[in-house]
Amino acid sequence: MTTTTAPTSLPGLTFGGIVTSEWVKLRSLRSTIWCYALIIVVTLGLGLILAGTLNTGGVTPPAADQQALWLSASTLGIQLGVLISAVLGALVITGEYGTGMIRSTITAVPTRTPALMAKALVFAVVTFVVGFISELATALVTVPLFAARGIHPDFGDSHAWLVMLGGAGYLTLMGLIALALGTIIRNSAGGIAASLGLILVVPSIFAIFAGLTRAEWANDISKYLPSNAGSQMFNPYQASMTGQFEQWQGTLVVLAWVVVLMLGAVALLKRRDV
Amino acid sequence: MIEAVGLTKRYGAKTAVDEVNFTVRPGMVTGFLGPNGAGKSTTMRLIVGLDRPSAGTVTLNGRAYADLRAPLHEVGVLLDAKAVHTGRSALNHLLALAATHRIPRRRVDEVIALTGLESVANKRVGGFSLGMGQRLGIAAALLGDPATLILDEPVNGLDPEGVIWVRQLARSLAAQGRTIFLSSHLMSEMAQTADHIIVLGKGRVIADAPVGDIVALATGTAVRVRTPDAARLTPLLAGATASVTSSAPDLLEVTGLSSAQIGELAAGAGVVLHELSPVAGSLEDAYLTLTQDSVEYHAGAASAPTAEAAR
Repeated sequence: MTTTTAPTSLPGLTFGGIVTSEWVKLRSLRSTIWCYALIIVVTLGLGLILAGTLNTGGVTPPAADQQALWLSASTLGIQLGVLISAVLGALVITGEYGTGMIRSTITAVPTRTPALMAKALVFAVVTFVVGFISELATALVTVPLFAARGIHPDFGDSHAWLVMLGGAGYLTLMGLIALALGTIIRNSAGGIAASLGLILVVPSIFAIFAGLTRAEWANDISKYLPSNAGSQMFNPYQASMTGQFEQWQGTLVVLAWVVVLMLGAVALLKRRDV
Repeated sequence: MIEAVGLTKRYGAKTAVDEVNFTVRPGMVTGFLGPNGAGKSTTMRLIVGLDRPSAGTVTLNGRAYADLRAPLHEVGVLLDAKAVHTGRSALNHLLALAATHRIPRRRVDEVIALTGLESVANKRVGGFSLGMGQRLGIAAALLGDPATLILDEPVNGLDPEGVIWVRQLARSLAAQGRTIFLSSHLMSEMAQTADHIIVLGKGRVIADAPVGDIVALATGTAVRVRTPDAARLTPLLAGATASVTSSAPDLLEVTGLSSAQIGELAAGAGVVLHELSPVAGSLEDAYLTLTQDSVEYHAGAASAPTAEAAR
């Protein structure tokens, strides 16, 4: 080794390589394992509790409601799961800032943006898969419990699959919002607080405000909040309630949140000293 | 080859690096020396693009770090041992970095063996001692078999064996034609490792010369004289325009006269001398001479904290 410049045969920095790197990083932390395990447990647990305690009063519900009950049970855990996904989404980047790992990351990927994009991509794929498998597993294991109450889920119904994909998508996009906020805030406590605040607290404030002042505009704005628009991504009923978004509209609204926050995160990541 | 031209970094009102110019050449070890807070680490962060210069440029083989196509193969960098996620094992940390450049697993195992981390490779970094963290940082820097190596305080926290290992590693990599740039606040360490030294004080380059020249700055400045008759000799020496200090009743430190001149003066006056020896100039002395005006934090100095508080 007497060379003073890198041999040209070496592959160098590639986006595929950066994606592999982010996959190694994600799978090698305990927080990842804990968060994903918790999402699976919560989704299965809440689904089983709902299906096991459902009281139809001995009356068999109409077919459309049967599907909705089954899908509600399969996706109930997603509402709690997004909080876990948001915590993990924030942690995958703020953990790097907190420990100084970000300096290693950025010296390896000095253009910076590909590192964040690869991180977001790996996190999104894994979260989506975990979310979808959790819902599917819950849908399967609750079948006997529903059957005992005269409810017969229909796996051939395309709406059922769209609801489960939507639930996994919601879980993923909320995690990405947290990842973007974590990149902007660069601090674990701050990133998690901001993300959970956006998901939990902001909608409540709007709801209280709208309830007390009867201000219609508060409701109009509120439905664009990520958690409200996101809930429409996996509405178990075929038709959405009046004034609420359709599934595709809700998806686009949450996607817009992700894109805007990610653009902000990239701009700051490029500009700031590390 | 690392070239800094007019390199400047300001943090608010504080100027950490102030219009610095230097060139670090391949085939030798260049020491980067200065008191704590002189701007060494900031300069190194500027080189690898973690911080953006307020003015000026710094290039690696003519290109900015961010423009390198395979940065890990061109530059290996140890900035501080804390650039590692504490929850990850050393092996996974290195695998993650290696993956970005598709560096094979074989090379990861090589640097683990080279830095003596085999027994702790699967342990989480959070439990590492300072020395092990430092070894991991060096392993990461060597991962891409880089042509340029930048190490900030590499011997910090290492045991004596580790210190010698880093020294030999730096020397052998330089002998292969690579560019080696090491920082330290310890002159003695640099004296044994570096061929060339750049001294930084308060963000400015105050010396940039071969090790020999830096030593010469401090050589022959003082002569130690031991005599039972110091009281009689002192006025004689002072009369010959020398300055004399005394740390013990029978011991004088004389500057401004050679040992021959002192010997002749003493013989002429019949003063008995027990010792007459030139104090060998050391790098340590040269360093203190060079940096005494630019030390940011004098121990016990009342004015010291204000500059740092501004950061």
